[in-house]
Amino acid sequence: MKQLSTFLLSILAFANAGAQNLNRFPKPDFESGYQYPDAHYALPNEQLWLVIDIILLVGLMSFVAWAVIKKQTRKPIIWVSIISVAYFGFFRSGCVCSIGSIQNVALAFVDSSYAIPLSVFLFFILPIVFAFLFGRVFCAGVCPFGALQELVNIRNYRLSKSVTAVLEVIPWLYLIFAILYAVTRTSFIICLYDPFIGIFRLGGDFGLILFGVVLLIASVFTGRPFCRFICPYGALLSLFSKVSIWKIQITKQACINCELCHNACPVDAIKPPYENKTKEERLQGVKRLIMYFIFLPLMIGASGYVMHYASPGLSKAHKDVKLYNMLVEQEANPQVLIPIELEAFYSLGGEIHQLKQEVDQVKAKFEFYSLIAGLFIGLVLGLALIKLSVKRSRKEYEIEHDDCVACGKCFSYCPKNTFIIPENLLQADETNNI
Amino acid sequence: MAMKEDKKIKSPIERRKFIKMLGTTVAGGSILATSGLMINKFVDGEADHYWQIDPQKCTHCGRCETHCVLSMSAVKCIHANKICGYCDLCGGYYRSNVKDLNTAAENLMCPTGAIQRKFVEDPYFEYTIDEDLCNGCAKCVKGCTAFGNGSLYLQIKRDLCTDCNECEIAKVCPSDAISRVPLAQAYKLKD
Amino acid sequence: MKQTIYRNIAAVSAIFIVTLSIMLIINYFQVKEVSPLQSVVVETLKQLNDQNANNPELQEQIRQLDLMARKAYFLNMDHLKNGVYLLLGMLAVFLICIRMYFTGFKDIPDKEIDPIDEWAIQSSARKYIGFAGISLVALAAVFIVFSIPLMQPTNSSASEDKQELLAKAEISEKEKIVEAQESSPLPVNGEIKTTANETQTSAEEIETKAVQSEVETSNTEPVEKEEVEPVIKEQVVENDTEVKEKVCSEEAPAANEVKEEIALPRVNSNAFRGHYSNGKSEAKNLPVKWDLANGTNIAWQTKVTRKGQSSPVINGHKVFITGGDEEARELFCYDLNTGENLWTLSVANIPGSPAKVPDTTDDTGLASASVATNGLQVCAIFGTGDLVCTDMDGKQLWAKNLGVPDNHYGYASSLIIEGNSLFVQYDNNNTHKVYALNTENGNELWVKERKDKISWSSPMIAQVNNKPQLVLMGNPGITAYDLVSGDQLWRVECLMGEVGASACSYNGIIYGASEYATMVAIDGTDGKVLWESSDYLPEVASPVATESNLYIATSYGVVASFNTETGELKKEHETNAEFYSSPIMAEGRIYLISNDGTMHIFKANDEFALLDSFETGEMTYATPAFTDGKIVVRTNNSIYCVEAN
Repeated sequence: MKQLSTFLLSILAFANAGAQNLNRFPKPDFESGYQYPDAHYALPNEQLWLVIDIILLVGLMSFVAWAVIKKQTRKPIIWVSIISVAYFGFFRSGCVCSIGSIQNVALAFVDSSYAIPLSVFLFFILPIVFAFLFGRVFCAGVCPFGALQELVNIRNYRLSKSVTAVLEVIPWLYLIFAILYAVTRTSFIICLYDPFIGIFRLGGDFGLILFGVVLLIASVFTGRPFCRFICPYGALLSLFSKVSIWKIQITKQACINCELCHNACPVDAIKPPYENKTKEERLQGVKRLIMYFIFLPLMIGASGYVMHYASPGLSKAHKDVKLYNMLVEQEANPQVLIPIELEAFYSLGGEIHQLKQEVDQVKAKFEFYSLIAGLFIGLVLGLALIKLSVKRSRKEYEIEHDDCVACGKCFSYCPKNTFIIPENLLQADETNNI
Repeated sequence: MAMKEDKKIKSPIERRKFIKMLGTTVAGGSILATSGLMINKFVDGEADHYWQIDPQKCTHCGRCETHCVLSMSAVKCIHANKICGYCDLCGGYYRSNVKDLNTAAENLMCPTGAIQRKFVEDPYFEYTIDEDLCNGCAKCVKGCTAFGNGSLYLQIKRDLCTDCNECEIAKVCPSDAISRVPLAQAYKLKD
Repeated sequence: MKQTIYRNIAAVSAIFIVTLSIMLIINYFQVKEVSPLQSVVVETLKQLNDQNANNPELQEQIRQLDLMARKAYFLNMDHLKNGVYLLLGMLAVFLICIRMYFTGFKDIPDKEIDPIDEWAIQSSARKYIGFAGISLVALAAVFIVFSIPLMQPTNSSASEDKQELLAKAEISEKEKIVEAQESSPLPVNGEIKTTANETQTSAEEIETKAVQSEVETSNTEPVEKEEVEPVIKEQVVENDTEVKEKVCSEEAPAANEVKEEIALPRVNSNAFRGHYSNGKSEAKNLPVKWDLANGTNIAWQTKVTRKGQSSPVINGHKVFITGGDEEARELFCYDLNTGENLWTLSVANIPGSPAKVPDTTDDTGLASASVATNGLQVCAIFGTGDLVCTDMDGKQLWAKNLGVPDNHYGYASSLIIEGNSLFVQYDNNNTHKVYALNTENGNELWVKERKDKISWSSPMIAQVNNKPQLVLMGNPGITAYDLVSGDQLWRVECLMGEVGASACSYNGIIYGASEYATMVAIDGTDGKVLWESSDYLPEVASPVATESNLYIATSYGVVASFNTETGELKKEHETNAEFYSSPIMAEGRIYLISNDGTMHIFKANDEFALLDSFETGEMTYATPAFTDGKIVVRTNNSIYCVEAN
């Protein structure tokens, strides 16, 4: 049976090749001894570049990790940022980036026919591994997008904290939709709507470049708007960074609650000391929390339901579905001038019922994955609400490790780092006090 | 004693520590699990890295010129000399309904003048493409496929292509002619 | 001091960056909007140049514009590229300066007087998230409402409309379907349409619509599907069975005529030797006597400006012939009623067309092959291998060269069209093919390599058990092909030498004959040879068959009839003429014109009596075309129409 099918396949392949290579005019027999010119098409050594990419990625991340955890200094990060923008950004044109690799990995998970290149997977997993070990050192300056925003950042105007709390949900929703469209093989929306890639490539869609420029101008005045409010990979990394093994500290000394670091942080990741002095009763807070926990499954269910019903609309972004809708439209009201998609479909001998089968499969996939995406959206919103209902008291300035991008700005602001007091002296001081 | 220990665990600090440990374990575990799952994929063989056009499927719609992310498309016309008929009246070189077979602008198909021709011997002419001028508009490909041997065809130049994660042209290609290929077949050449 | 320098540099570079980026954006949009390479002006000028012959001024203008366009394109590209590099450089300068400027200031804000009330922030954030969540759901709901249910009402109403239409159409079309089936012996098939036949196309439309509405309803909600689908299906089934019944009850229709409106002639002659190229016409009230010199019964006569032997073809009010010489190959259209030259299409500039026309003999020339039409398109082929197809108003739809034929007399096989399939027999020394092309766009439906050597015979379509077959004569085979797939149905190898005559058929039997070979009758169902005979054999003129008689005309003057059952010679007439033009049977008569222009009219029965013979006055090689009351004849240098008063 297998032999038969391969035989059939080879016949088909042959027939196909025969159909296109029309030898209308015979090969000329040259009498003048004409030689066919040699055609060579350049094949750059991509493999080598990929190896360099990976080495550089690991090297730069290790360097950042060493700088922020061991040395507590920001200088190397600036240099790493410049290298990253120059190499990963302008030289390598920002492809493949870790942010986009989420989609490849998601697709590889659900679609066994999709073979993911090793380099793409490494780009995906290495920053996660580093985040798990040292926090978001990738974001610090290795990611060309973060580095670019970091380099142009001059002032740091603070945004309303309650608004940023809402905006920080966006990366999660973006992540969910990106995965939804990736696993249904519709499109890679992260790559499609990448605001900085046009800048790195010195050309591209005008709207996106404009968006990128607006983001860059915004990042002059406030820290990393893209990283905080858009980047889905940052959202993913924040999960690992939160539980990282070695954590970034503002200072190895005792905090004196001077508030300087809080003001220096571009991403609002340093939380001030807080004692619970709200007038709200504890019982009320607990009640609310319990209510949210009860509502969580309901919210998950509701949003899953909504997304499930939105799936036919969502599926319209898929190429086959688009083509099929065009076909149905054309068959219903035939136009003389047909779009080139249909022209190609007809001229390649496409069968509408065959397409319909494929479209049905796509739609079924969409129905399933939209439901799951909806459940996750509900979960994200619910967890955000729960997180905002939990009271935590702090005695001193603390880094919120999921938000911290390891930029190292706080180090130089901390007076304790500037005037390092030897440990024994400090102890002596304390004992004196007592 | 047991009661005391219990209380200790329930104190806020301990609980947070416990949750953190749990989180660390889950995170580490998920990294390992993902890597483990993916390793199977790499064992299977080389993945397809590079975008390339299948000339058999190409319908010369002209979108390669306009939809590439680069300002000058990475798609260029390639000429397969070995299947070319070396015609005088070349469907890719001349516009249809051409009156005189000379190099005057009104007779030529290529909008950028990227096709050059050289007399070989009567009645044969050799055609070559000046790649710096070619913008991948596929006008000549259309002409050659319709009236000739189809020796002019489009390919993505590997040295120009940035290998986007998702090729913008592939997204709009009406005949799905652009797909990822392994390095060994980085070009789908006709000759 | 240093700070001031940095500040100043930063300010200057900032101004520079802003101006440069504005310029770049303008440049970008200019390139994008104007897109010099796709300039409409140049394109229209180029088209104008295509139409007008040498106009040096126009050409000069095009050349200049083209040069300007290319310059603009590449210069703009260059500017854009250099501009962007410059911009990046300045941006780097600006960033460095501004950083250096600001390093002096350590951003140490005042201690916040009011400690941040985190709980208040969290509470308002919760509220915002709540709002955001609700608005997301609302957005999704709106999205869902707009994406699906709005489609459904239109769909269902559309299918309802169709349902009504179906119901109405069914009643009114019932009788018409019968006629439609009569006029087209083909099974109703969405692909194949005969000529502009109102009734049939409408019958087709109903079917296709029914199928469409089925497709559409499957998109809609299941409830609706259940409601609508059975109804439509029922009707489709009803329609189908009816059609089938009618087909079964029909006899093999000898008449391949097409019902037309009263204003138009009832009978078309869509190809060489009439419809299906079978040598028969259903035309009525035909003239039996005419004279060019005196103008007796001559409706009009028009000089043909180019040489050619192609036979006239009539569709509606239009008559088509071709002509060609070294200078040009042309397709002419004349008015059937007045003889006015309605339009002329010059066939030139087809890629692959030879610069020098192939050598041909005088009696064949470059325009021997007759045109063919289906009432929507007209196709013509010339001795250069140029094949052209136009609409009925002379607008060229497509053209291609099938390869320059290597043919010592000149390519002569006429075209034939069925529905929108054009069939070309292309047997030359260098090509041995039969093509089926789409008349609308010239796409190849199928191509078959043939085992036959060069021939000058034309394809014809035979009806065998209500199914059409494409029958080609060649050396050495007579071959039948399926019209749709091109599959060979049968093949009989019995001919030799130079085959010029074409086949004819009656009631599923195909008759073929060629000089120096044989005359043969073949059963079209299985390709079995029924009989062979070689008493008299035609060289150029093709035979015509009735139920009992087969009529032939030889090039040495003998006109003979044979028994179709046995192949026995029945009757023969010795005329003092040569026959290249083929006999045509109409109104029970055989019309046969000799090379010197003598018209012979025989009674088409067993007696085969010569009713009349008269001089028309001009040399005639082409076969006349017949329509109601009119005969169109092409002579060596003119075309005329005979009409009985």
